[in-house]
Amino acid sequence: MSDPGVKTRSEIEAHEVEKIYDDGMIRALAGVDLTVAKGEFVAITGPSGCGKSTLLHLFAALDRPTSGTIRVDGYDMNHLRHSNRFRRQEIGLVFQLHNLLPRLSVLGNVEIAMAGSHRPYAERSVYAQKLLGDVDIAHLADRRPTQLSGGERQRVAIARALANDPPILLADEPTGSLDSASVEAVLGLFQRLRQERRVTIVLVTHDNVVAGVADRIVQMLDGKVVSEQATRSL
Amino acid sequence: MSLVRLVLANLWAKKSRSIGIAFAIGIAVMTVVTLTVVSSGLENAAAAVLTIGKSDFTVAQNGVSDILFSSIDDGQLHNVGSTKGVANAVGVLLETEKINAANPLFLEIGIDPGDLSHFGVTVVAGKPYGATANHQVMLGWRAAQNLGLHVGARFEGNGTWNTVTGIFSTGIAYGDLGAMFPLPALQARNRVAGSVTLIFVKVVPGFSIPKVEKSLTSSHPELTTIRTASEFGRADRNLVFLQAAATGSTVLAILIGAVIVGNTMLLSLFERTREFGLLRAIGWTRTRVVFLVVGEGIVLAVAGSATGVGLSFAATSVLEHLPQLTGVLHANYTQGAFWRGLYTGLGMAVIGALYPALRAANLTPLKALSHE
Ligand SMILES: Nc1ncnc2c1ncn2[C@@H]1O[C@H](COP(=O)(O)OP(=O)(O)OP(=O)(O)O)[C@@H](O)[C@H]1O
Ligand SMILES: [Mg+2]
Repeated sequence: MSDPGVKTRSEIEAHEVEKIYDDGMIRALAGVDLTVAKGEFVAITGPSGCGKSTLLHLFAALDRPTSGTIRVDGYDMNHLRHSNRFRRQEIGLVFQLHNLLPRLSVLGNVEIAMAGSHRPYAERSVYAQKLLGDVDIAHLADRRPTQLSGGERQRVAIARALANDPPILLADEPTGSLDSASVEAVLGLFQRLRQERRVTIVLVTHDNVVAGVADRIVQMLDGKVVSEQATRSL
Repeated sequence: MSLVRLVLANLWAKKSRSIGIAFAIGIAVMTVVTLTVVSSGLENAAAAVLTIGKSDFTVAQNGVSDILFSSIDDGQLHNVGSTKGVANAVGVLLETEKINAANPLFLEIGIDPGDLSHFGVTVVAGKPYGATANHQVMLGWRAAQNLGLHVGARFEGNGTWNTVTGIFSTGIAYGDLGAMFPLPALQARNRVAGSVTLIFVKVVPGFSIPKVEKSLTSSHPELTTIRTASEFGRADRNLVFLQAAATGSTVLAILIGAVIVGNTMLLSLFERTREFGLLRAIGWTRTRVVFLVVGEGIVLAVAGSATGVGLSFAATSVLEHLPQLTGVLHANYTQGAFWRGLYTGLGMAVIGALYPALRAANLTPLKALSHE
């Protein structure tokens, strides 16, 4: 794919990141410093409106910081030329709102993320089906998103985020509407991704149980990181 | 999930709108195809007049609006006949007359009986009329058949009753649907004594036809020569006008259609803002989004063009059977007409879809995703 020299230090570095909306009226991020190592699993928690989604969107190159610098997998987010390709190749993004396309089947919603990828056409459908199996909804492949429960939709969104084997997974409340059994299944999948493929995971959650599975919990408040704590040492 | 399948899924999801756009394209394509086949049919019919006389080329008055309005006098006919390289020059008067409802534009040819063989006419029954006879006529065999007349019957034409002296064949359907009169009789009736419409020229073997044409037109700039059906347009301004109308309507159809298609797509784009935002957010390039939207336009164009050609078939067959237009309108379905229909449809759709496509591709993903 791209230069392996860049790949080896897949990580996220945010330095004094500010994001200001509405001409200074809203300071969503007020100087965030955060480093995530390659293969690390970080959970971000904090009250509603503290800037968690905003930070994730900046990591995904969906927006640019007002000031400060962000490097993701070696790419400088302030000077990124091909943000589409970056998102497709580097980032798997699970939105807070699942954002599925209502016209397409569940399988189609996963396959559509592979457009422009290096995976041959013939294999795309099979791989999408495998990802659906990973999140335990293989049997729903032909349904429309409107025919799914909230938790099932969330799992489609997770499968879609993994469609291009991204080295970095950014997930915004991916377990928000899942029951505890499904939460465990999803967390198990995340652990497997990390162990088998060294996927770097940044996960936003309000759930302390979910956060407890991560290597590190980052606490945010009013657009700033207020505490960081390692959860466990295996 | 190929792009094609996605395009089809998107169109299917909005069936009634898709059908509406395709139908609008169909109407425009129908107009264009119909004008094209009708003007090409007229060109053929008019050119058929010229092919009746088995000549090397035809001489007409330069710049008349309708070839039947061409007028050449005795003196000019004589000059053409004595031009070097001309073997014979047959002056023919062409008129049309409404003889009944089924024949609103019955062809009447004024020709000297001595010129019949030069002109390529064979008398298949009876005999030719007298050179200066007043109430005599020969009918083309198709006309005789249609009218149910035989040698010796009476035929009302040229404003009077005439005896049918013979039946002729020209080998050209258009000619065989008409009648032939002694030249002076037809001239007198139409008050054009001493003038003919066209001169059919045969060149002496061994002489170059283009050279003879050239020497003729350079010494007679008021005359023009016609050799092929396509050259025919030069002498007939009505046809030039009709052809221009077909071209103009194509351009107009493309422009107006593009605006309609563009507007409708722009509206649907507004509803689909979140979809485009999502596609960009999961890594779709702008180009791919443009292809998606333009692709939808192309599918609509192809469906619309097919509809338009079908509608055009229906429209021309209705027009051809209108009593006022019987015998006047001949649709000539050429491959060119189909291509013109297709590129009209495609032009409308691609030009119309381009702006919405670029708008869609340039949405800011996050803003688009938060669109309600
Ligand atoms: N496009 C925007 N324009 C203006 N203000 C915005 C925009 N997006 C977010 N904000 C504001 O920025 C702040 C941070 O929003 P953000 O979505 O990052 O919060 P969050 O921590 O994800 O909250 P939640 O837990 O409710 O999802 C909020 O005050 C929000 O109102
Ligand atoms: Mg949020």
